[in-house]
Amino acid sequence: MTAELSTRPRGSLRRHLFDNPVVLKELRGRMRGARAFVVLTIYLALLGAFASLIYVAVSESSTRTSGQANVGEIGRTLFGGIVAIEMLLVSFIAPAFTAGSISGEREHQTYDLLRTTLLPSRALVLGKLLSSMAYVFLLLLAAIPLQSIAFFFGGVAETEVILSFVILVMTALLFSTIGIYFSSRSRRSLSASVLTYAFATFITFGLPIILGSIALVLGMSFSSIQSPQAEVILLYALGFVLSTNPAATALLTQYILLDQRTIGTFSYTLSGGQTVTLISPWIPFTILYLVLTVVFFILSVRRVQAIEE
Amino acid sequence: MASDELIIETHGLVKRYGKLTAVDNLSLVVPRGAIYGFVGPNGAGKTTTMRILTTLITPTAGDAYVAGYSVVQHPREVRRAIGYMPDFFGVYDDMKVWEYLDFFAACYEIPERERPALINDLLALVDLAHRRDDMVEKLSRGMKQRLSLARTLAHDPEVLILDEPASGLDPRARIEVRELLVEMARMGKTIFFSSHILADVAEICTHLGIIESGQMVAQGTVGEIRQQLMPTREITITLLDRVDEAKEALQHVVGVTAVEDLPNEHGRHRLRVLFTGDDTGISAMLQALASRGLPVVNFAEETRDLEAVFMRATKGIVT
Repeated sequence: MTAELSTRPRGSLRRHLFDNPVVLKELRGRMRGARAFVVLTIYLALLGAFASLIYVAVSESSTRTSGQANVGEIGRTLFGGIVAIEMLLVSFIAPAFTAGSISGEREHQTYDLLRTTLLPSRALVLGKLLSSMAYVFLLLLAAIPLQSIAFFFGGVAETEVILSFVILVMTALLFSTIGIYFSSRSRRSLSASVLTYAFATFITFGLPIILGSIALVLGMSFSSIQSPQAEVILLYALGFVLSTNPAATALLTQYILLDQRTIGTFSYTLSGGQTVTLISPWIPFTILYLVLTVVFFILSVRRVQAIEE
Repeated sequence: MASDELIIETHGLVKRYGKLTAVDNLSLVVPRGAIYGFVGPNGAGKTTTMRILTTLITPTAGDAYVAGYSVVQHPREVRRAIGYMPDFFGVYDDMKVWEYLDFFAACYEIPERERPALINDLLALVDLAHRRDDMVEKLSRGMKQRLSLARTLAHDPEVLILDEPASGLDPRARIEVRELLVEMARMGKTIFFSSHILADVAEICTHLGIIESGQMVAQGTVGEIRQQLMPTREITITLLDRVDEAKEALQHVVGVTAVEDLPNEHGRHRLRVLFTGDDTGISAMLQALASRGLPVVNFAEETRDLEAVFMRATKGIVT
């Protein structure tokens, strides 16, 4: 009457990514009924309305100052505005999907059921992360036609679109993983959400302010010394500070792309005339966010794995 | 080391939470193929024992084996061997009945191509085939419990560990669950279930374990427990006449400890005989009466119900 128990090779990529029962269950639940499509429609309508506002505002001001519309600037502003909104949404929607992921299983009293199955802890955590990322991807992909309007005006290169996508995905990945981590530690989804949003807000706003203040104080003390080494250290410190923040990373990467025509390394001339090599911030940002994602992922798996003493 | 005939075995199992000892030196023995009723008042340590056996918590001391595997050293093998139903129903919102079973079958690594047939079989077994496409949250409590039982069978486990399977159900649903347990035992599953409702246990289980304050008070087959806790058997004899002669005959039967008069019923005389022997002794008793030609119209052993056994075993702390 029942099927023979099958044993498939553990750890295969297909099993982890595409054959994960948690992904299937989460996506079935999330995409069922009208809710998912209503959310997507509202999201696109808001994004569209915002893009229209930017277009009207920028074309008006551009026409008023130079007598004719600077279409390149309209395109860039439109693109930047849409990416900024997406970043805000990703920063706060991604954790919302995951902050209740593990604690929600506890609240629904399904956590024990799952833990007595053969589902490995890492498959549970990965399934929660992938299903959250799948919906974030859907939101980002759905916004691509709106972003593409910027191409009609020019002033935006494909490289910018790709880099903005990378930065958005990295942000979603880390914030989703942090959501899962706090969810695995909390008994209630509410406390997991509070902790996750506190952490996300700290990374988005708090950390840059703190590190920026430190860099500023260091800068002032170093500038009085006026040593080239101090200037190099200050530059790298500032670069690191900016690389911890997705918005700052995106803005600076775009500035370097336009100013230096590079997405990799570039030379910078110090006040003393010497030159130093600097890296576009999206690279340390991606590495930092990937490392943090892996760290929080491992911590979450350990937490789920732990058998109650 | 665990023996082959025993599907569940614990030795000196202890679980402490700070100063509270939930399970205290518990030694449990469940033979393969048994329907084992694990009975005790609320808070006796039933759920804690079951959570140790299902690898959800680790014991403070002692060993526990399920299907020959240690719950601490080989939790994965133990999980493969058990189907667990906790004393609550875990509900997922936005999930259909077949999806619920499909999800758990996938968690037990049942290949996708085998799942549709398996789900149909399981739903037919628990009589929910007609609710296949309904949302789980819309099912009645009894139906949810049956669906839960179907879930425990998804990976064809050797033993089902069920925590209070009939708790909170209406009488009809309770009977349905009880029948399902018997059906599952017929399928070759060992059933280890807890209850604080004696009626659920008395009618279907082959073995019984009585737990109180974390300690095993008595365990064995139902007959053994009756014998252990209530060594005296009680026989009621109804006669038309010649009561004194009957008393005299009974006094000479080996094992008879007392013969008492009971009030007459419809003009018939009744005697209560307390007896410590086996079935051969009871047969000898009947023969002693018949050989003297005494007018016996009824000869019946009073079955001591488990409630009486339980009350005696648990010192009255029954809920």
